[in-house]
Amino acid sequence: MSGTQSSSSLPAPIARLWEPLRERSRSNRALLLMAPLLVFELLLFVAPFLILLRISLTDGSQDLRYAPGTWSISGYTEVFTTDVLLNAITYSIKLGLVATAITVVIATFYAYAIWRAEGVVKSALLFSVILPLLTTLVIKTYAFWPLLSPNGTVNGILTSLNLVSEPIQFVPGTVGMVVGQVYIVLPYAVLAIYSVLSTMDWGIVEAARDLGASRPRSVLEVVVPQAMPGIIVATVISFAWSVGAYAAPGLLGDGQNQAKAFALVVEKRLLSNPQWEVATAYAVVMLLLMLVSIVLLTVTLNRFGGEFEYA
Amino acid sequence: MHRERLENVVFRAGYLAILTFMLLPLVVVVVTSFAESGNLAFPPENYSLVHYRAFFEETRWLSAFDNSLLVGVGTTVVATTLGVTAAFGHEIDDGRAGQALAPLVLVPLLIPPIILGISMRVYFVRAGLEASFLSLVLAHTLWATPLVYFVMRSVFSRFDWQLLDAAKDLGAGPIRSFVYAVLPNVKHGIFVGALLAFIISLQEFVMALFLSSRSTETIPVVAWTEIRQSLDPMVSVVSTFLIVISLIAIVIATIATNLDWLSKQLS
Repeated sequence: MSGTQSSSSLPAPIARLWEPLRERSRSNRALLLMAPLLVFELLLFVAPFLILLRISLTDGSQDLRYAPGTWSISGYTEVFTTDVLLNAITYSIKLGLVATAITVVIATFYAYAIWRAEGVVKSALLFSVILPLLTTLVIKTYAFWPLLSPNGTVNGILTSLNLVSEPIQFVPGTVGMVVGQVYIVLPYAVLAIYSVLSTMDWGIVEAARDLGASRPRSVLEVVVPQAMPGIIVATVISFAWSVGAYAAPGLLGDGQNQAKAFALVVEKRLLSNPQWEVATAYAVVMLLLMLVSIVLLTVTLNRFGGEFEYA
Repeated sequence: MHRERLENVVFRAGYLAILTFMLLPLVVVVVTSFAESGNLAFPPENYSLVHYRAFFEETRWLSAFDNSLLVGVGTTVVATTLGVTAAFGHEIDDGRAGQALAPLVLVPLLIPPIILGISMRVYFVRAGLEASFLSLVLAHTLWATPLVYFVMRSVFSRFDWQLLDAAKDLGAGPIRSFVYAVLPNVKHGIFVGALLAFIISLQEFVMALFLSSRSTETIPVVAWTEIRQSLDPMVSVVSTFLIVISLIAIVIATIATNLDWLSKQLS
């Protein structure tokens, strides 16, 4: 791997980009192997995003979808002065936090159960996570209709047991939407936590129990802190995907949920409103808020995990 | 002792409840696909194959099925090529480029697909690739590649690199030594990565919603638009096919590796 061959044959602008990269890498060949993916990400992810950013900064006063060549922050001003948009931001972050909290608690418990299980039970539990993971979002959300609708299965059971007198309208509505969203992100969260737990030594938990810790306590004070890297990943994924949720509010939410869910608001703005700069500015603001919250969440959880270790 | 038994019961009831929660929606989908009536009730009153017959007569679903397969195969080829080569490059040289690559590949997964869909739609319109299969393949590759890449990184990190050096010492060129020394040891990983890429493409729909037209729409896109118009068991039929494909994929992947390994790669 001593690829130190000269790249002076490259055209000047490419060579100028390539040389610093090459100097910092140990071999040309490795760089060449990584180059296709780097180029792909630049062309298909970075470039489209920069265009999105550029459109969000165009002038919206002309009656066009977007006015090329103009510069203005009117899109951003509108985002921060329109109640509907601001409400949708807070609503979506709230939805993200609620779905994440429920998901991470269930996922931690389930990952622990998988870790402790053996043989057929372990396979069954793992299978129950992987199958929904590989099934399309549309179907997973749609499946909650026959289950949760007023004349659906759950209400049938509840009324036949005389637990409720009137069927409860889970879907369309907030409850159904949250249940659907939890179902969507749960497999990812479970696997993230399980993959960390599976490398852990059970002996530590046994030691805690020998020293007199009750079972719930040994889990809370030994297993959870050890699983923290997995729990952080699970939290980040659940939050990022729930804030930007599209399928669950679109299919299981009612009109009120749909009018507030960020992804649906952006879509509506983009398709019905001829002013793209507002929709794109909104997307950019939301993305920044999400990235900031993710960093905050990670930092907080890291500290939380750190404290736990000394408890 | 009594307390411990109670804890056991609660623990078991807890994970069995979650197990039910995980699998019940999929069971509902499969069972309602055999319903005789047109309304979506679980469990259905009578069973029949009437919706399956209707599915095979509906050209929109069938062409969407073809589109899904085409986009899926395209995504698999592109994502696997990009992911495997990059992971290989990263493994033999963990330089600056490699360190930049991992987050760059990962970030698209954390961005709401709606935002990716919007930005790519604007981008593809400019590039003249609007509503083409290529735009769908490229969009799905953006999501499938991270999985291939991270699966392959973990596979390559367990590979004994002395084998590659040995092949080179024996005079094999870079391609020959890769094919004969590396490939046989990592082929299961590549296979699982490719399978995951295919499944990702098969199920993605938010980006596809923005990037496809009537002639390129994939199955989840048709399912989504149909469900929004009316809920009917035809969607269950299509869903059943997709669930069966996922099942087959899991079985194949389990044979190639094992369930525990697969589950760790997916996280």
